[in-house]
Amino acid sequence: MSEIAQSPGSSNKPFPLGAKPFAPDDEAALREALKRCSPSTFEAAVQFRKTGNADHMPAVVIGVIERFVEPDLRAKLKDADDDLRLIEDLGIDSLTMMEIVILVEDVLQLTISNDELRNLRTVGDVKTFIDCKIRGLPLPRPTKFLPIEHIGAVMPVQPPFLFLNEASVSSTGANGKYKITGQEFFLQGHFKDNPVMPASIMLEALGQLAVLFLLEGAPTEPGKAIGANTIYFTGCEGVRAHRMCKPGDLLTLSIKPKRMKMPLATFEGAIRVGQEKAVIAEDITLTFAYVESVVAPAVVNGAAQPLSESENGANPPLRVAINA
Amino acid sequence: MPRVFITGLGFVTSIGNDAATVAGNLRALRHGFEIYPPFQKPDIACKVVGTIKGFFTDSVDPEDWTWPPAYEIKRETIRSMAPHGLFAHCAFLQAIADARLDEADISNRSTGLFAASAGSPMLTYYHHDRLLKLGPSRSSPLGIVASIVGTLNFNLVAAFRIQGASTGFSSACASSAHAMAYAFEEISLGRQGRMFVVGGEDGNRDAILPFAGMRTLSLQTDPDIASRPFDAARDGFVGTGGGVVVVLESEAEVARRGVAPYCELVGWGQASDGYNVAISHPDGTGSRMAMENALASTGIAAADVDYVNAHATSTLIGDVSEARALKSVFGANGAGPPISSTKALTGHGLSLAGVMEAGFCALAMREAFIPGSAHISNLDPACEGLNIIRSTIAGAPRTVLKNSSGFGGANVAIILRGT
Repeated sequence: MSEIAQSPGSSNKPFPLGAKPFAPDDEAALREALKRCSPSTFEAAVQFRKTGNADHMPAVVIGVIERFVEPDLRAKLKDADDDLRLIEDLGIDSLTMMEIVILVEDVLQLTISNDELRNLRTVGDVKTFIDCKIRGLPLPRPTKFLPIEHIGAVMPVQPPFLFLNEASVSSTGANGKYKITGQEFFLQGHFKDNPVMPASIMLEALGQLAVLFLLEGAPTEPGKAIGANTIYFTGCEGVRAHRMCKPGDLLTLSIKPKRMKMPLATFEGAIRVGQEKAVIAEDITLTFAYVESVVAPAVVNGAAQPLSESENGANPPLRVAINA
Repeated sequence: MPRVFITGLGFVTSIGNDAATVAGNLRALRHGFEIYPPFQKPDIACKVVGTIKGFFTDSVDPEDWTWPPAYEIKRETIRSMAPHGLFAHCAFLQAIADARLDEADISNRSTGLFAASAGSPMLTYYHHDRLLKLGPSRSSPLGIVASIVGTLNFNLVAAFRIQGASTGFSSACASSAHAMAYAFEEISLGRQGRMFVVGGEDGNRDAILPFAGMRTLSLQTDPDIASRPFDAARDGFVGTGGGVVVVLESEAEVARRGVAPYCELVGWGQASDGYNVAISHPDGTGSRMAMENALASTGIAAADVDYVNAHATSTLIGDVSEARALKSVFGANGAGPPISSTKALTGHGLSLAGVMEAGFCALAMREAFIPGSAHISNLDPACEGLNIIRSTIAGAPRTVLKNSSGFGGANVAIILRGT
C-alpha cells in the first residue's frame, strides 16, 4: 500500500495481480474499513482483493457510496441506473465524495488524483472510472450534462420540433428527458379530444438524442467534427410501442451506439416513463459526414475562454470549495 | 442604544442536559463529578472529572458517537464536529425551543453567532498523526474543520444556516464571557437583532490532562470534595466539558415576538493583569478593574449588586486573587453581596465556563434562588470578610455580576439585571 500511496495519482497501472497476497491481517483491516457497509460489500471487496477480478468492483463501489448516503436517500441507489447523479440525486457533496474516494482507494488499493475526481458526476461515471483504473484502460471522457440552452444551441432541430428538455452525453451513449406538456401542436389532432404522443414523434425524439450524441459525444478523427447539417435519418428496425404516453408523462430517453462507420451510425434506443417501458427501437440509423473542425473561443461571462468542461453549465462536482 | 435581553438557554453540562435539571442541581448543590475511567492509571494523579452523561464521544469517529434520542442529527452534520460540537448542537436546539424561535428568526442577516472553544485536542492529535503516518491522500478532508479552534462556530453556523455575524473567541477561560460581551456589543450597536452565544469544550482526556502537566488539577479522589473553591484545603480545579447556548435579543425583537426574557444583559467590562502568562495577579488587579469598568459602564453601584457568580476555579492562587479583587470592589463600599462559585458543582469548563455560568445566573434569576458555594468546610482565611454563601438562598437576585478570567490575565465582568 505504501508504495502506491507515494506514487503520484496520474499513474494508471493495472491492478498488480498477485503482487501482494491477501493476508488475514488485510482481511481484518478490510473488515474494519467497511464496518458500516453491507456484508455483501465486504464480501465483494474480499473477492476482489483475492482475485483481482474487476467484476466484483461495482458491488464494492456501490456499497461504499451507499454507506455515505443519508439513509432516506439509499432507496434511490437500490434500483439505480448508471445515470443517477451523485450531487443532485444522492445529496453527495464534494467533501463526501472525497470520503468515498478515500475509502475506495483504501479498499481497492488504488490511487485517485483530484483531477480525475472532478469529472465523476454519476454512479455510472464512478463505476466506469474505477473499472478503467483497475484494468489499466484509458479513462473515458466524462459525462456532459446539457441544459436546454446548450441543446438548442448545437442541434439542427429547433422548437417546436425539438423533443428534449435536458440530456447527458458520455462516450458510451446519451440520456435525455422530455416532459409532454399537452401544448404540443400536433396533440390537437392526435387524437380528437384524446391527446396521445405519436409513436413516430417518440422515435423522432430518440433520433434527436442520437444526433446530440453524434455532435457532443461521438469519437471523431483529429481536426474533424461531425457537421450538424450533415445528419439525416435513414431507417429504423425492431420498433415496438409498449405504452401510451400522454400529457404529464415524463419521457426518459436513452440511446447507445451499436455501430459507427462513416457515413452510417446505428443506435439502439429506449423510452421509459418511470420504470415502465414505453418504446423500444433495436436499430435507429443516421447518416453523417465530417467537416473541418474550427476551434472557436467560447464567450463566457464576457471573456473569451478556451472550450472546457465547465462550459456546459454544471459546476464540476469536485472542485473542492474550502473557505479557509 | 438598544437594550439586550437573554431569551433562551440550552445546556449540556456535567450537572444536567436541560434547564430544569440544571436548575434543580444548582439549587440543591448536587455536583456532576465522577471517577473518570481514562484517568485510572498509575501515572495520572488526577482522578475526577465533571462528566457529561447520556453521550458517548470518546471515539475519534463521529459515527461511533451516541447522544440522547431526542436529538435528530445527520451524519453529514456530525462528521465535521468535535465532541463539544455535538454537545453545543444539542444545547442549541434546546435554546431555539426555549426562546421559541422559528427558522426565519434564526437564518437571516440580523442574527449572528459568537462561539468559544479551545478546539479538540483529541481530534487534532488523531488527524495530525494520521496525516504524518499515512500522508494527505489518506487523511480526512474534514480533519481541520473538526479539530481546530473555530470548529464550534464553523459547524454551528453551517448547521443552523446563520447569516449574520459569526466568529470565535479565544481568551482561554474568559473566551465565552468575551463572546457574550461582544455579542452584547453587536446588538447594542444596532448591528444585529439577535445573537447566539455558544461555549463548548470536549472535557475528555485530551482536553483536561494538559492541565495536569501544569499542576493545576485537583488530585482528590473523592468526587464530593474535589472541587471546593474558597476552601482552605482546595488543591486545584476539576475539569469538565459540555456545550451551552445563550440567546441574546434586542429590546425590539423581544417586543416583536412577545417573549418573556430571563433577564437583561446590562453591560460589561474587561481589563488585563499584564502580569504573567498563566498565573493571575496576586492582588487580582485585572479582575478588580474589569468589575469596576463593568459597574462604571452600566452606572450600577457596587452596593446594588445582589449576587456575584465568581470565576473561582478551586486553584490555590486564582481563588485568593479573585477574593482580593472582590474585597477591593465591594468591601471598600461596605457592600456584601452573596458570592458563590458554581464550579464547585460543575468543575471548570475552561472556554465554556463564562457562558455556562452566565446561563446559570439567568436560570437562578428566573427560578428565584442564589446557588450556594458548595463543598466549603473551612473557608480560606484569605477570603474572610466576603459574603461567600455556603448554602442556597431563596429569592431572585435583581442585579448579578458574573466574573471570568483567562490565561494571560484576561478578565471579564458581565452584569445581568432582572426584568
